[in-house]
Amino acid sequence: MVVTPRSTTRTRGSIEREDAVTATPSSEWMVESTNLRKSYGKVIALEGLSVQIPRAAVGLLGANGAGKSTLIKLLLGLQTPVSGDASVLGFNVRTEPLRMREHVGYMPESDSLPLDVTAADFVGHMAEISGLPTREARLRAAETLYQCGVDEERYRLMREFSTGMKQRVKLAQAIVHDPDLVFLDEPTNGMDPAGRDDMLRLIGRIHNDLGITVILSSHLLEDVELVCDYVVMLEHGRLAMTGPLTSLVQGEGDVVVQIDGDIDRFVGELQARGLDARRRDRDILLAYHDESVFDVVRDLSIDQDVLLRGLRRDTRTLEDVYLQRMSEQTENEAANVHAD
Amino acid sequence: MSTPIDRPLAGSSPNQSEAEIYDRGYRHYDGPREGRRHAIQALIIYSIKRGLGIKKRWTAKIIPILIYAFAFFPVLIIIGIRAFVGDAAGSLSYLSLYGAISIIMVVFAAATAPEMLCDDRRQKVLPLYFSRAISRGDYLLAKISGLGILMGTVALLPAFILFLGSTFLAKSPVTYFFDHIADLLRIVAVGTLLAFLFASIGLLIAGFTERKSIAAAVYIGAVLLVAGFANALFNAINAGWHRYFILADVSAVSDGLTSWIFGIPLSQDSMTAQANLNGAWYLVTVAVVVVACAAVMFRQYLREE
Repeated sequence: MVVTPRSTTRTRGSIEREDAVTATPSSEWMVESTNLRKSYGKVIALEGLSVQIPRAAVGLLGANGAGKSTLIKLLLGLQTPVSGDASVLGFNVRTEPLRMREHVGYMPESDSLPLDVTAADFVGHMAEISGLPTREARLRAAETLYQCGVDEERYRLMREFSTGMKQRVKLAQAIVHDPDLVFLDEPTNGMDPAGRDDMLRLIGRIHNDLGITVILSSHLLEDVELVCDYVVMLEHGRLAMTGPLTSLVQGEGDVVVQIDGDIDRFVGELQARGLDARRRDRDILLAYHDESVFDVVRDLSIDQDVLLRGLRRDTRTLEDVYLQRMSEQTENEAANVHAD
Repeated sequence: MSTPIDRPLAGSSPNQSEAEIYDRGYRHYDGPREGRRHAIQALIIYSIKRGLGIKKRWTAKIIPILIYAFAFFPVLIIIGIRAFVGDAAGSLSYLSLYGAISIIMVVFAAATAPEMLCDDRRQKVLPLYFSRAISRGDYLLAKISGLGILMGTVALLPAFILFLGSTFLAKSPVTYFFDHIADLLRIVAVGTLLAFLFASIGLLIAGFTERKSIAAAVYIGAVLLVAGFANALFNAINAGWHRYFILADVSAVSDGLTSWIFGIPLSQDSMTAQANLNGAWYLVTVAVVVVACAAVMFRQYLREE
């Protein structure tokens, strides 16, 4: 059956189709799940996960065993949930898995390449399995491998490839059929620092330049911070937090002031000048309204003859957010044990 | 899809540019998408190529080459000799041919069925297939078809060559052809049934292990052991129902089926002849084995990882 070519207008991470047959149901959310539950015997991998993920470069964060890979497998229809429901790009994963998978690519975490085949043959074969005609499949395989940094090596058997090269081939097979969304499960696993940087740059390009929406699963916070603009954090199969990266890493105070001198007195003087200032250990936190805040601090330090050691906007890293979350969880668990 | 850049190169006139420059940048695909049927066909062709060792190391090609040599050479040699010395060379009956071919098919299935399934599971390639727009059933269908086609080439082509050789060496080829035209249907029937029988057993065993060598050894071992056990029971037991033990011996099933479909009497020395079962029993045996193997295999593969 030859399907009419998709009439697709693609903007970054969005799909608008005119063809009624292959049209993706319009959905505000790229991925939606409701009470998704999955267990392996007595081990619960996902516990009633309800999450809505917008069209963005999404980082799926969590420690090993948090349920990231299970969530991806459920969303791809590779596994069936015990209960709950989910949709990807508006397609229900239980009732329309094949239609959904026409628009999706997947790079698994584990080694998943046949070693006695050349990269060009395998990626071309995967393109054919996605429905591309043989000639088109071969051409796109060559182009995609080239884009992923595998050029002349594509004619070599994959058993001769380094881990980094295999990861690139896995990425190429995930995007060779031009999906709208690609799931990348721990794509930098086993790579050296230089290879990891290359891979992250490549993933950034896939999202920013090619307009393919990315869901990047990783336990490495820096990877997500570098590539993604939306974060979903899982913890023991539950949703720990979710939101745009910028809002998650935004600090409690907007401006951090560090001085040598009487900190409490300096805070009082700032408050006397109408600023919302408070002390946090050796730092002073100020609510940021506009650039005039910096002028007030500078002028006050001169007036008070105080050495101004630091004046900067307060941002946290994703690691700070994660550690804070872990610390809160530990405190809650301790409180619950105490209450019992 | 590479397309030439339509701007001429700086410093070159359009007349000079015989060569084309290709933009190798990734671009979105707006061409046709040919659906599941195309995907299944692609997987069948890919599986056949892997089974034959095409685009693999030369060691992977040895067994297929030997199998085809053993399957075709006897027929070609017999026909060749008959072409020179005439009927004095004797003839090769379909019963004798399938007797030899069934042994070759056991070896072929043992070598090729694991090639179809084991590597994909051992190298964890299945998630890449199942995350695309094909179902697990489609995957199995393609693998069964791929092995069926390969087995069919061994089961059908030598017999067709024998038929053609006999036709052209006959005193009146046209008369021989029309007198024996039903043999073509018999060849298709026997070849297809034997291909399915040996392929289904091979795929069933390959579906339970990731190691090709283990699957091949278990296949040959199981066929030999079960046949030996069945023959031992056939000889040891005197009750009338002992003759049904012969149905557990695949070479006896092959002989019985060929004898029944071609109407060629079996040698009275053979246990198949001594069992004296109605030919339909062999047909039912093949059907039961194929359906049972397919059911177990589908159950094995439809189960999520």
